[in-house]
Amino acid sequence: MEGVLWYVLTGTRGGSNRARILRAIDERPRNANKLAEELDLDYKTVRHHLDVLKENDIVRDTGDDYGAVYLPTDRARQNWDTVEEIIQNAL
Amino acid sequence: MASTLVDVVRLLTVLNLFVLLGLAAVWGRNWWDLRSKHAFGLLLFALLLIGENALGAYLFLLDPTVSAWIGNPEQVPPPAQTAMAAFRALEFAGLAFLSWVTYD
Repeated sequence: MEGVLWYVLTGTRGGSNRARILRAIDERPRNANKLAEELDLDYKTVRHHLDVLKENDIVRDTGDDYGAVYLPTDRARQNWDTVEEIIQNAL
Repeated sequence: MASTLVDVVRLLTVLNLFVLLGLAAVWGRNWWDLRSKHAFGLLLFALLLIGENALGAYLFLLDPTVSAWIGNPEQVPPPAQTAMAAFRALEFAGLAFLSWVTYD
């Protein structure tokens, strides 16, 4: 998991925005729309980042389709030290 | 046939160089933003392979001695040229895949 976190958040083009998304949903689970507003990102960009994070089992959604709220997975929580270490530098 | 293989080597060396420059741009930027050893490690990896391919491109395309030598099938027989092309092709495949996940 640690390796995945490092690559997804620091090895890819969208890494720092993914770190910002992760920090935002850690504070409070939010839907894609709110995240886009909050982080001043394009809605489609946010959706793409969320898909990548989901694919890597870093975030999960509540499954309500359009209103789906995103939150960190248990696996991500178990490695939150690593996430913190990455996030603190991400902005 | 022999010179075709050498052209493949030359082409792939230059392509690898461009793919690596793209990767180094992403990783360099992440390193600048994050200052983590992981981002630095990826950047260093790209820089070292840029060195490899830049040197290769210079030797295979520009250097008068080496470029003439590898293109001469009497001095570098086809099996050796095939091997050289295969190394470059494998490296290109690896880097292309890495770019795909990095630009995602």
